[in-house]
Amino acid sequence: MNKMILSRLAAGLFAGASLLASTAAFAGEVTVWCWDPNFNVAIMKEAAARYTAKHPETTFNIVDFAKADVEQKLQTGLSSGTTDALPDIVLIEDYGAQKYLQSFPGAFAELSSKIDFSGFAPYKVELMTLDGAVYGMPFDSGVTGLYYRKDYLEQAGFKPEDMQDLTWDRFIEIGKEVEAKTGKKMLGLDINDAGFIRILMQSAGGWYFDKDGNLSIADNAALKAALETTQKILQANVHKPSAGWTEWVNAFTSGDVATVTTGVWITGTVKAQADQSGKWGVAPIPKLSIEGAGHASNLGGSSWYVTANSAEKDEAIDFLNEVYAKDVDFYQKILADRGAVGSLLAARTGAAYSEADAFFGGEKVWQNFSDWLAKVPAVNYGVFTNEVDTAVTAHLPSLGQGANVDEVLKAIDSQAQGQIQ
Amino acid sequence: MNASRLFGTALQYAFLGLAAFLSIFPFFWMLISASNTSIDIIGGKTSFGDAFATNVTNFFTQVDVPLVFWNSTKVAVLATVLTIVVSSLAGYGFEMFKSKARERVYSLVLLTLMIPFGALMIPLFMMMAKTGLINTHIAIMLPTIASAFIIFYFRQSTKAFPTELRDAAKVDGLKEWQIFFYIYMPVMRSTYAAAFVIVFMTNWNNYLWPLIVLQSNETKTITLVVSSLASAYYPDYGVVMIGTILATLPTLFVFFVMQRQFVQGMLGSVK
Repeated sequence: MNKMILSRLAAGLFAGASLLASTAAFAGEVTVWCWDPNFNVAIMKEAAARYTAKHPETTFNIVDFAKADVEQKLQTGLSSGTTDALPDIVLIEDYGAQKYLQSFPGAFAELSSKIDFSGFAPYKVELMTLDGAVYGMPFDSGVTGLYYRKDYLEQAGFKPEDMQDLTWDRFIEIGKEVEAKTGKKMLGLDINDAGFIRILMQSAGGWYFDKDGNLSIADNAALKAALETTQKILQANVHKPSAGWTEWVNAFTSGDVATVTTGVWITGTVKAQADQSGKWGVAPIPKLSIEGAGHASNLGGSSWYVTANSAEKDEAIDFLNEVYAKDVDFYQKILADRGAVGSLLAARTGAAYSEADAFFGGEKVWQNFSDWLAKVPAVNYGVFTNEVDTAVTAHLPSLGQGANVDEVLKAIDSQAQGQIQ
Repeated sequence: MNASRLFGTALQYAFLGLAAFLSIFPFFWMLISASNTSIDIIGGKTSFGDAFATNVTNFFTQVDVPLVFWNSTKVAVLATVLTIVVSSLAGYGFEMFKSKARERVYSLVLLTLMIPFGALMIPLFMMMAKTGLINTHIAIMLPTIASAFIIFYFRQSTKAFPTELRDAAKVDGLKEWQIFFYIYMPVMRSTYAAAFVIVFMTNWNNYLWPLIVLQSNETKTITLVVSSLASAYYPDYGVVMIGTILATLPTLFVFFVMQRQFVQGMLGSVK
């Protein structure tokens, strides 16, 4: 009898001790590095507040640096092997994810055993997967849409139904009509930015690299179709050329162009022009005329990573899991406050995602974006996306001068080969 | 003769005018932008607007201005004083004390000017991490104190320092450190002033190394804060411009206060 009491007492003590141990382990400060005080930093603070509300013993230190600065610091910390100078959680742009994962094996915590990734947009999970293991927490998406001016298109004789399920050839035809009837160009195009090419390429499931991460330029059907389409647009002259980002933004905020094809994060900028309320609509982006092409693509976006040697690793993972992988209400809040579209598909069931937007004439734009989000083709961003992007950008102007697309592909290929060696 | 001289003068003024325009326009643009909203700045507005007060308010609410300025000032002033004391002592020593190894050691010092900072960054970072100095202001200052350029500058200037003064002081019984502090420093004050301007500007604007070493919001200097503000997806350029103006003011002030001595110092004058 006594023995039993003793053993129960011991068991109770052990349980108590382990409980104490687990709370003790979760009493650290989680340090986060990210950029943009009004977007990532603000969103991370919101997430931290939600977690601290339930786990008061956890505190957060969210440090904001410029994006290039975060990358520089991360690179220095990882290269020097001084892991105690690294944060617990760091934000990395999706295009650069594989570069860090492959250049610094073991530097980031593997999360697939602790977090269920089945609820996220597949392409976001794919880009942070290496050898079957997932290393990040998918964050904001750059799922693309075709934003168009209903009023201009109506003047040219097109209804919103006519904007659904377009091909790029049809898009150009409409562009000619729009210019004839309204005098407005169809889209703004910055010939020194390969973003448009990347959107088209990914919409057909292609990238600068194949599924195994090898450079794929010369025989890349998706890239070829993207370049051909861009050439057609340039030659049809339905675009307004813009030099640089600000001029490109200015082209649609000032009402000079009828459409914008880009990532969902532009919504805030579009809606900032209050006098254009009710005049905009959003449709799926036009399709390339090759096999496997679709209406969904992505531009930009970033995700959270936990450093493998972090003292607060388990706490950081638990935090990401609890908020970013489960809290649907959190996603409503960041959509409403910051215009951030996360990658958790279940977020669409919330109130903010279901709302009809008066700015877009009562369309349920967020439901649409959420539909497209699930359909974005997964591609391998490889290690050298930014380097190849430079090579592509260098050869874009020649497209407008009527260069043969196959020749341009070859030129890009040889420059890219040289750059990534 | 007269006509060609007139033409020469006209050319001179045209060139100076162009140079003045190129140097002043960025400041002018900065002031204009600080008074406009972000949208107007992007639109390319070139006249003064009425958003100055809003931008200032926004800057002060987004940034802990006193803390950031205290950090920047502390780092810049301390690093400058230490650099000047240490490097001028070295420059003085290199010129005054003759020995066989002197020129070789001096060449080694100058050679360090050829190593780009990028190559030193990671080893330095590891040193700081091992000594537990990461995220401290000392870590920013330490690598800059022995500045090869300032040592070089002081040695060159010391060549103009009359050795008779030192000999006379010695006869009067002054020790070497007394000669340095009571004779050399006052005589070379233009040189010190010019060095102060150069070193202060370098330290105040120092960006890459503080960026690597500093890890928290509480230790950040003004350059890092402006950089962070400017890298948002949709930066508020009005607020960024306020930050830029505030970051520029101290160097402007130091330069204007010491302008006369700076020019004299660069010319190598001895009082």
